Amino acid sequence: MPKHDVAIVGIGQTKFRSKRRDVNIPEMIYEAVKMALDDAQLEPKDIDALIIGNMDHFEGINFSELMCGIEAAPGYLKPIVKVATGGTTGSSLAICGYHNVASGIYDNVLVIGWEKLNEGGATTGIITAFDPVWERPSLAGALGPLALMAGMYSAKYGITAEQAAKVTVKNRSNAANNPFAHLQMPNITIDYVMSSQMISYPLRLHDVCPQSEGACALIYANEEETKKITDNPAWFHAVETAHYYTFGTDDKMYDLPTATFASKKAYKKAGIKNPVKDLDVAEIYEPTSWSELSWTEALGFCKPGEGGKLLDEGITLMSGEFPVNPSGGVLSTNPIGATALVRVAEAAIQVMGRGEKRQVPDVEKALAMGFGGSLWTEILILGKEPMR
Amino acid sequence: MTEIGKVAIVGVAQTKYEEDKIDQTYSELVFEVVKKLHNDLGITNDDVGCVITSSNDFNDGRTIANMAIQDAVGSVRKAESRVSGDGAFAFMYGAMRILSESFDTVMVVSHCKCSEVSQYLVNNTIFDPYYQRHLGLDQISSAGLMANMYMNKYGVTEEQAAMVVVKNRKNALNNPYAHLREEISINDVLNSKMMAYPLKELDFPPFSDGAVAMLLAKEDVAKKMTDTPIWFKGYGNCTDAYYLGNRNMTDLIGLELAAKEAYRMAGVNNPRENLDVCEVSESFSVHELMIYEALGLCDKGEGGKFIESGETEMNGSTPVNPSGGVLSSNPTMANGLIRVAEIALQLQGKADKRQVPNAKTGLAYGMNGICSQGNCVLIFGGEN
Amino acid sequence: MSRKKSQEKIFEIKWKTDLPYRYSIGKLAVKFFEELKENKKIMGSKCSKCGKVHSPPRAVCAECFIEMTVEDMVELSPRGTLEGFTVINYPFTDPATGGLRPFPYGYAIFKLDGADTYTMHFINETDYTKLKVGQRVEAVFKEEREGNIGDIMYYKVIKEEK
Ligand SMILES: [Zn+2]
Repeated sequence: MPKHDVAIVGIGQTKFRSKRRDVNIPEMIYEAVKMALDDAQLEPKDIDALIIGNMDHFEGINFSELMCGIEAAPGYLKPIVKVATGGTTGSSLAICGYHNVASGIYDNVLVIGWEKLNEGGATTGIITAFDPVWERPSLAGALGPLALMAGMYSAKYGITAEQAAKVTVKNRSNAANNPFAHLQMPNITIDYVMSSQMISYPLRLHDVCPQSEGACALIYANEEETKKITDNPAWFHAVETAHYYTFGTDDKMYDLPTATFASKKAYKKAGIKNPVKDLDVAEIYEPTSWSELSWTEALGFCKPGEGGKLLDEGITLMSGEFPVNPSGGVLSTNPIGATALVRVAEAAIQVMGRGEKRQVPDVEKALAMGFGGSLWTEILILGKEPMR
Repeated sequence: MTEIGKVAIVGVAQTKYEEDKIDQTYSELVFEVVKKLHNDLGITNDDVGCVITSSNDFNDGRTIANMAIQDAVGSVRKAESRVSGDGAFAFMYGAMRILSESFDTVMVVSHCKCSEVSQYLVNNTIFDPYYQRHLGLDQISSAGLMANMYMNKYGVTEEQAAMVVVKNRKNALNNPYAHLREEISINDVLNSKMMAYPLKELDFPPFSDGAVAMLLAKEDVAKKMTDTPIWFKGYGNCTDAYYLGNRNMTDLIGLELAAKEAYRMAGVNNPRENLDVCEVSESFSVHELMIYEALGLCDKGEGGKFIESGETEMNGSTPVNPSGGVLSSNPTMANGLIRVAEIALQLQGKADKRQVPNAKTGLAYGMNGICSQGNCVLIFGGEN
Repeated sequence: MSRKKSQEKIFEIKWKTDLPYRYSIGKLAVKFFEELKENKKIMGSKCSKCGKVHSPPRAVCAECFIEMTVEDMVELSPRGTLEGFTVINYPFTDPATGGLRPFPYGYAIFKLDGADTYTMHFINETDYTKLKVGQRVEAVFKEEREGNIGDIMYYKVIKEEK
């Protein structure tokens, strides 16, 4: 049991787009920060500490937290810490913020994830994440390994390209209900996805996430401060991280063991026996259409090999028993350092019942997921009531 | 803020700091210190709850620099997270994970190989790409500006600055891990090549390769693991302005506020009396004089006179940097965690030839960015 | 102000920062490249405790948390089994050269005989319909080897029942 219960009390997001030529980096981040402060009705002076993250090499700015924390957020003469862990940066920030408050060190914190991805070279930046001796010479950014994973998953369980395409159709049409989403495609069809260009077999253009620019900001508070700020917070029930080997290729790649390790621990902490029944909605980190099917298995939403069936049966649709990615997910919006934080923000929005057109009815508990690095996973579970 | 629980450092391990550890990858440096710590404490990786690392992608030349060290920190099936920046900040994140009652033990690790990349380029990218980076600023030119303004305002002399280098280099002779271990004179410093007026080559640290690890534990676990747990007592973190032009360049305001907060938490009323030893991240000679003032070891503008008084020497009332400090060993991202490790050794009474007698309370200072932009002050006590 | 006019006021600063690195590769990799260059051999590292053979070789067995040294290196077969494949069909900047990496190219994951982990490398096939999980593959070496990973030019599919 943590020392303090922690809640999300303020949420801000920019409208995510492929390019924000109209603003520089601090100006873009400020939009999300201002929205979060207004949402919690807090003044900049009320913030105790800031946790900020993005990936250095994508924009080429070292110690970017010093620039962004001061120029885009109320960080002057306050504590600022930067956390960056690749695709999981957003969830790592979210978890770091949790420990800052749960430990009793701070009463509230401002958590910011951002990326202005088209100002640098994302694929090139991702290649440099890999080993310069062994991996880089043949690597093509994140897509190559993701394509290998999709192919191995498909070969193992007979998942079809059509089943994968359904994920894109679901998520991009969900995105049409999310005013912040980058790719909103209300009328997208399976044919449209399956006839798009093959960019890395079996991945077609519309099987993969876009590159987006934008920022997400969350304000957390402990139980006492939360009472003063809002009567509709989203409480943390569990935060878990699981890593595996340095080289993703050290184990079979058709599934995601870290999602299983982390989710099992989180379910135990949050008292969840059957995730599909005990959780009401999930915002998961699916970099490709295929990976959503695979991740739903690893998270225990269905048995191994049944990710395709789970969607075929409509369970993860907005109208289904257990909607996955009502926001449109990563396939619709992917500002890397903010992507996993957006999952947490959207899970909180669902718990608060503030999802408007993308709201799942009667959400009590929601799951958010981060994925990145050498195939590691982070899981956060939020609930309408505090844990104690 | 509510009452803070108890966290202890149960053990630390360091590599020797060297100019160019060409025969080891940074992952191997990390394994060296983590394994050493396991062996010293008689534990296995199963005894470690989770891992917090500190590194910098620009220095390592890798996006997600912590990917490469997963095997080496023992994070298989475990939680690891990475603070991007100085190791003192990683220490605090590790401590928070125990204070939040999420983990019983946390391994904190920091590594840096300055030898693999041009430090000028790495430091130049700290400056924003809109207004400042074109000017070619880096840590040396910024330090020159800061030193000039500070010395001009308070009448501090180049000789006084040189005394800092002489003291720290002399202390490093007693530290087997230190990179530069040779005694130098004030004249050596004054006669070294002018780098950025008024600072000369020897006013600056070398660049080093190395790694440091420590294990943190909650109270009951710590007492089982060691007879000499070192207790976390106070913490302050404060960020100064981003643009150097927005800074008060003659006083380290951010550090001053961070120290005040840490003193309040630790019950340090009079730092000069209460602190037995300090380990600070001095990025250049004059910086250490400014740090004395910000920490309240002496009055504003008195840094120069304070070094002359000898109070920060090994036999003074408040020895600063018995390890030799950053001016002797500078694996940049690891500096803050090395300061914490050295304070832990002092308070454990395990600092061998660099031991300050009867050290009971110590301060460690870690820094992010240029000229004390991000400041993390930590206070430790040998007694619970 | 018209939309066009307001857009004219937006401009960007271009940075072409060249940030060269010089990475240490470690003693095991040195041995790997010596064997590759001199003897066309592919080496892995075998954990003395659990026996797991790691490819590529590295200094730590993550599972046992013990060190592997050059003495723990073992020769792997240049042949293995295809476990997964793709064909890269999009342009991107190669960080090693700063230029565009030529595409399309085949990219695969396979298990070399004698190794317990998987290996990623090029495969000389850009028609993915010709590739199948379970196919046997073999390394094709450069004649004039330089002691880098490019000495293994690519893997090719071979006919061989196992
Ligand atoms: Zn082993």
